[in-house]
Amino acid sequence: MNDIATNTDLTGHNVEGGFNVDLIRRDFPILSREVHGKPLVYFDSGASAQKPRAVIDAMTQVLEEDYTNVHRGAHYLSQTLTDRYESVRGTIARFLNAPTEEEIVITRNTTEAINLVAATYGREFLSKGDGVVISDMEHHANIVPWQLLRDEIGIELKVAPIDDRGVLDMDAYADLLDGNTKLVSITHCSNVLGTMVPGKEIVRLAHNRGIPVLLDGSQAVVHSKVDVQDLDADFYVFTGHKLYGPTAIGVLYGKAELLAQMPPYQGGGDMIATVTYEKTTYQEPPYRFEAGTPPIVEAIGLGAAIDYVSAIGMDKIAAHEKALLAYATERLTAMPDVRLFGSAPEKAAILSFVQDGIHPFDTAATLDRAGVAARVGQHCAEPLMARLGVDGTVRASLAMYNTTGEIDIMIAALERARSLFG
Amino acid sequence: MMAIAAEKMAQYEEYVEALDLLDEESRFEYIIDIGKRADKTPFPADCMDDAHLMHGCMSKVWIIHEIEDGAHHFRGQSDAIIVKGLVSMMTGSFSGLSSEELAEITLDHVRGLNLGALTMQRQVGMMAMLKHMQKLSQRAERSPDTLRAAD
Repeated sequence: MNDIATNTDLTGHNVEGGFNVDLIRRDFPILSREVHGKPLVYFDSGASAQKPRAVIDAMTQVLEEDYTNVHRGAHYLSQTLTDRYESVRGTIARFLNAPTEEEIVITRNTTEAINLVAATYGREFLSKGDGVVISDMEHHANIVPWQLLRDEIGIELKVAPIDDRGVLDMDAYADLLDGNTKLVSITHCSNVLGTMVPGKEIVRLAHNRGIPVLLDGSQAVVHSKVDVQDLDADFYVFTGHKLYGPTAIGVLYGKAELLAQMPPYQGGGDMIATVTYEKTTYQEPPYRFEAGTPPIVEAIGLGAAIDYVSAIGMDKIAAHEKALLAYATERLTAMPDVRLFGSAPEKAAILSFVQDGIHPFDTAATLDRAGVAARVGQHCAEPLMARLGVDGTVRASLAMYNTTGEIDIMIAALERARSLFG
Repeated sequence: MMAIAAEKMAQYEEYVEALDLLDEESRFEYIIDIGKRADKTPFPADCMDDAHLMHGCMSKVWIIHEIEDGAHHFRGQSDAIIVKGLVSMMTGSFSGLSSEELAEITLDHVRGLNLGALTMQRQVGMMAMLKHMQKLSQRAERSPDTLRAAD
């Protein structure tokens, strides 16, 4: 084991100077269950992470004791829950080191956050012939919203290539920041290859040309400490459920001066200042972008998730995952029939691979028999699969609660797949 | 509801009985064996095209549909062995039926195979295969000439 087990308390929270994965695991009730009579090995956190007791308890507590609607309620419950809901905005702002909590817009997920930027900033500031730069390793969530905008107003989509290791070609990227490029929207960490993209450099090069940048942090916030001021990103988006929080809540960070210039996304309650049949005026950001009753319980859950990972420390989580990645990479590359995709020097604990001569579905089904939950297919990144020259891969995405022992279970299951299908 | 003649369901019943004797792990290997055996049965390469493709994400499935004396016959192919085994079980179980008989096959028949989680995945699931087979037979009923031309 690569874990440092010192100075731990019983919950794994507030662990000073160490990281004890066994104690962390106790915080995640689902990890004690079995699948097909085997202990669950959850290697699908890149799709959605499991939830710690702290998140489950926070959401249950609200529903049982404090639940009501938020904003403009005159009664006690509404006022106290509004305060608590709004305090999560501050928690998120601190987590990202955003200058103010007014720059934190609550969305349903990353997909909605990117669609929001495309539909508001995009429609307001982009016009026919303007270029939007993405990369060759985007999730469909950072491709299709721009294609919709392309079809609507005629923008041009420009794709920055990657090399065979899965590293973004920074020279080619810089070349794409030419005259007509008006926006960059790039993943901060590939959901397939694990590549950590040099966000700060991406932003610096774009800003040299006066081009704003959106970074898709869906995977990056889970595996590393993100500081939007250090990155100087104009927009930063992520989703709650991959960060050990609930589904149906996501975050758009946007610089105040940009959000202030953007029109509303959807119309409805909560986002308006005044409404008459003749004219409606809108709230200031972030409320302007949050039409309708927000995900109240989910926000409390996300706040609890951020408190949880912050108490442990993103640096400690990253160090643990780095050790897991190194071990898994060593074990997988030692298997002659395994082809591993993505060998970027800066990489999160996401491993995509195929076994030669075995369909990824057969590999993943064999892993499942061993209790190993991995994802198979194209991972919402069909263009990247085409770039890699495969129909799909098996993806093991690791998290803070995984262990080297679990990697050994996966390796044994891959050996079984070889004997079953080879 | 019409009764389907027992001899037409013989292959299905054989699968049901065989699987019933096996534990879950052995069922998994049984399907792989069927998939490997099916792998040795030639499937026309020119039928592994979009016209015969059943859309799914995790693996590809192609189905050939033919009509002989009013009975629908299916042959299947997949790029994954397990899925090939599942397709083979489905096409083997439910070939030789009339459109009316095929329409009588339900989720309960699929459940009867007792394949657990393997049967129920949406995109490569056996229900999706059954629906696809039923759709092909219904389409053939509506315009038999078009279908023959397409096949």
